[in-house]
Amino acid sequence: MATAKRCDGISRRDAIRVGGLTALGLGLGDFFHLKNSFANEQPVKLSGESSRAKSCILIWLDGGPTHLETFDPKPNAPEEVRGPFGTIATKLTGVRINECLPLSAMKLDQFSIIRSMTSPLGEHNFGTHYLMTGYKPTPALEYPTFGATLAHLRSKESATSILPPHIAVPNFGVGGSNLSGHGYLPSATGPFSVGGNPSKPDFKVRDLDFYKGLDLTRLDRRKQFSKAFDQFSREKDASNFQSDPNLERAYNLIASSKAKAAFDLSKETATVRNRYGMGGGVSIGQSCLLARRLVERGVPFVTVNNTGWDTHQNLKNLKSRFTNDRNAPLPALDRAFSALIEDLSERGMLDETLVVVMGEFGRTPKINSTGGRDHWPKAFSVVVAGGGIRGGQVIGSSDALGEFPKDDPVTPQDFAATLYTLLGIDPNHEMRTIDGRPVRVVMDGAKVIKDLI
Amino acid sequence: MIQLEKINFVLLFIAVSVLDPVAANRANGQIEEPIQRWKKVFDFNTEVMPVFTKFGCNSGACHGAAVGRGGFKLSLYGGNPTSDYESIVRHSRGRRVNLANPERSLLLKKSTEMIEHGGGAVLDLDGEAAQRLTAWISQGAIQHRSATNRPTLVKLDVTPRKKVLDSAGSQVELSAIAFFADSSEKDVTAWTVFTAEDKSAVSIDSESTYAKVLRRGRHVVVARFLDKVVPIELIVPLADQSVNYSNAPTSNFIDEEIFKTLEMLRLPLSPEVDDATFLRRATLDLTGRLPNENRVAKLFNSESLERSALVEELLSSNEFVDYWTYKLAKLLRIHPQTDNPAGANSYHRWIAKQLANHVGYDKIAQELILATGDTLENGPANFYATVRGPREQAELVSEVFMGSRLRCANCHNHPLDRWTQDDYHGLSAIFARVEMGRFIKPKPTGEVIHPRTTVPAAMQIPGETPFSVEVKNGRAPFADWLTRRNNPFFAKAIVNRIWKEMMSRGLVEPVDDFRDTNPATHPDLLERLAEDFVNSGYDLRHTIRLIASSASYARSSNAIDGNKDDDRFYSHAIRTELQPEVLADAISDVLGVSEKFGELPLGTRAITLVDPKVNSRTLDVLGRCGRMDSCDDDSSRGGGLTQKLHLFNGALLNARILAENSRLQILASHGKSMMEIVHQFYRAGFSRLPTDKEHRFWQSKLSNADKNEQKKILEDFVWGMLTSEEFSTNH
Repeated sequence: MATAKRCDGISRRDAIRVGGLTALGLGLGDFFHLKNSFANEQPVKLSGESSRAKSCILIWLDGGPTHLETFDPKPNAPEEVRGPFGTIATKLTGVRINECLPLSAMKLDQFSIIRSMTSPLGEHNFGTHYLMTGYKPTPALEYPTFGATLAHLRSKESATSILPPHIAVPNFGVGGSNLSGHGYLPSATGPFSVGGNPSKPDFKVRDLDFYKGLDLTRLDRRKQFSKAFDQFSREKDASNFQSDPNLERAYNLIASSKAKAAFDLSKETATVRNRYGMGGGVSIGQSCLLARRLVERGVPFVTVNNTGWDTHQNLKNLKSRFTNDRNAPLPALDRAFSALIEDLSERGMLDETLVVVMGEFGRTPKINSTGGRDHWPKAFSVVVAGGGIRGGQVIGSSDALGEFPKDDPVTPQDFAATLYTLLGIDPNHEMRTIDGRPVRVVMDGAKVIKDLI
Repeated sequence: MIQLEKINFVLLFIAVSVLDPVAANRANGQIEEPIQRWKKVFDFNTEVMPVFTKFGCNSGACHGAAVGRGGFKLSLYGGNPTSDYESIVRHSRGRRVNLANPERSLLLKKSTEMIEHGGGAVLDLDGEAAQRLTAWISQGAIQHRSATNRPTLVKLDVTPRKKVLDSAGSQVELSAIAFFADSSEKDVTAWTVFTAEDKSAVSIDSESTYAKVLRRGRHVVVARFLDKVVPIELIVPLADQSVNYSNAPTSNFIDEEIFKTLEMLRLPLSPEVDDATFLRRATLDLTGRLPNENRVAKLFNSESLERSALVEELLSSNEFVDYWTYKLAKLLRIHPQTDNPAGANSYHRWIAKQLANHVGYDKIAQELILATGDTLENGPANFYATVRGPREQAELVSEVFMGSRLRCANCHNHPLDRWTQDDYHGLSAIFARVEMGRFIKPKPTGEVIHPRTTVPAAMQIPGETPFSVEVKNGRAPFADWLTRRNNPFFAKAIVNRIWKEMMSRGLVEPVDDFRDTNPATHPDLLERLAEDFVNSGYDLRHTIRLIASSASYARSSNAIDGNKDDDRFYSHAIRTELQPEVLADAISDVLGVSEKFGELPLGTRAITLVDPKVNSRTLDVLGRCGRMDSCDDDSSRGGGLTQKLHLFNGALLNARILAENSRLQILASHGKSMMEIVHQFYRAGFSRLPTDKEHRFWQSKLSNADKNEQKKILEDFVWGMLTSEEFSTNH
């Protein structure tokens, strides 16, 4: 395309364009100044300052949690948008959140809310993939989630650690259960599901104790035999075959009583367990407590999968599903999240542990005919705590009805870039698929949220 | 009075300017003559629309999104020129086009970033695209020049469609010619969007339309112009040394086609499998079980295997019916409904009967689609009890019978394929006329609302014109169209699935994602298989037999150096994990101890289970498909750390290895020697005898141990075998 450039590199069109900007009060001089400052902008460095976080706990609210009934209420909007709940003041003046989150409201100086998250994907599978990987799903490739990338890039540590580097509590049935979690990375980076229900007294991860009559020596020999069979069968094969690494990992986990103890919630006092919250089916409180234990023992990434947020009907169920319900989603979340922050803080772990609360999208500002809200990805909220972030902020905002971002829209890839940066990973780093294709950790053009770091 | 008229005129003028700026300008006498620079008059549908696709204006990330962007909505990839015309010319109070001063049109100012534009400077003011838009606006911003002059694109001819290049780094020039209904043709290369599926493999210079292949292999580039999408295959052979298969043994056209592709890619062949491997492979593929041990024994008494006789025998066995019923049950997602659990049993029984009676697949599909009656008694009626709702039914039908994911066309025209919202909701409308529940019957007033028009969608066969309102029952014409000889989807979809079952990978992958932008690895082979299948009377066994008798089917899965990176061209066979139910049955067979599934009698085989959720820890651990959704993508379901933990410490293997009536205990109690036991297990589990090396290995492990320890070593040996890759895969 023909552009007549002047000798100083400014194209004729740029000059015309600037001319159009004079209405905004920017003369040519200002324009040059702005242009130069962008040119000098440095890519984000991963210095010790911004990458304090060693681990991350992702509290995943599966189904698409309503931003209007959690962290971005619109008390002044018309009735059909406002919703059935009231709002409460928080530690930050002028910032209000849903009335069911009082404990978290008191701690708003320790976490930040991003109110201008935006995505075009309003379907569970697609939205979940996008939010959990920072990449929109394509038919060509499933991308790895944050936990898998972390596990992969910290593989030197992962190789020596016994506990799986990427754990899901209780399972990884997110967004319709169609995500492997590891994408194109080796399946060993995928999430290990602890299974069961952490609030049950007999909760334990299955099959960690020996079957009767077996001991470690037997297991070791069995493992060796299995590998021997594999080697024999592949003798004539030229491919680079490896026996399933999970066999070795399973063995190591079984062999380590310390690792096994990590999953034992009975080692926590009743006070602590109650503080997090015990009831409500697969308790989000106990799941968060287990996550804290795992992170304490060096697990880099734990996903707490809390389901039930796909509220197409009756929003009131978020507060109370029946008389004397103490464990509806909102109060349970409030209890668990505030307990987690408090607990991490008391143990001196908050700076090193990033805590994220999010789902795959928000929900429609206009309440539907069954008293609920449908999928709405255009604007929603994400909460971040710990890991060295600057707490006590509301980043970005949505418009008066909570429909679109008003200031500072943040895309899931921007969020991914920020999360990785906090965890000490360069978003521009390239990983490789099995057939050698280079793929960036975060897609090109993603911008780290400066205000958080 | 005159005052009033003047006021009226002014009001009228204001009203008209607000409502129809084009008319207002004309009324005002402000329209200019088409600027003399442009002798050519631009047609909106075929010459202006491509601009928005070429420069990404109508992509899903920008104005093509379901809600548009910045208040400006265009149809995704230009699927709807008329609504785009409305958006551009009539919406936003006509600010988008300024007939008096075309350069002041918002359409130009935004796209060239003369004012703030979220999408940045998409067009260059001096460039051809902006010039074209300016010209069109100055020519009156009209959609159709006349009632008769409406060019319609009928074909997009892209060159090359397929090209083999010498080496990585080679370039090829791409071109596109558009053919219109009035027989005119035009070179539209500059306005065609060429996109590489894998940008790290092919880089495309949009200025000069050269494609450069950066890596060896077969790569796809997709060309898009208006509503036509055409795939291009660019191939750089995987090796430098050419190969020649003109003398290689060929059984049928399958081998012809596979060898053609291997020659083009210069891939060397792995050798043929031996009889023992063929026996195990074919028996698993056709009946889902390990070969009978006597048959294995015969092989090793130097009786050679008559392979085609074996295939015939397997095809006519009851075990074949059981196994392929299981496969069809997974395809059709048969599972008990909470309100009518027994219906699934009728359904399952009916499928088995069709297979046993060699009923053609076209007849099976027809009966399912036209089914009515009591789901408890009438098996096929359960086809309408699988998912709930007409849209879900449309999605099921398209994925199962057309191999196509129509679901993306719910909210907008499918971005990568030909399907429109009319197709999706039109097909849903056909199923809205079916009452679903315990009794399936026609529902004459059923309808679905088309989200764009907000009125009931007209019934429509995907890709065809809508039915007239007189048509009450859409199922019959749909079933007819689907199973007609020349239907482009039906035969290919099922033949591709059969191919995957036998060869481990579909010619089109994923198997429910046929689209123009996802070409088959061997398009000619797929055509021929489909045609052959139709000619056979849609006989499933016919195609299975054809594949099983090809030389390609009998190839070893051991790669050689030159072909170890091939994962889709069949230079060597592709190993595949056994399905959870098959593996569960195989473990039971080898151990000699059955497992209980729910309340069903002991000895029930897992592949015969009707309920995919019947109580079974084993099947959960092995990762069975719950059939609530498609079972096509099995990859992320089983395995992993959890499974290995259970294999180590759970009951699945441990309980039965030690059981009194297990094969190991029985052989030991009959006084068999250690190595005899080892050989028996090899025959049972691997369908072969150990090699000398393997024999020596196990002997060394066993010989220095006392009797007690020997027993434990054998238990560990059995455990090792059942967790090995050789056992749990078909290879």
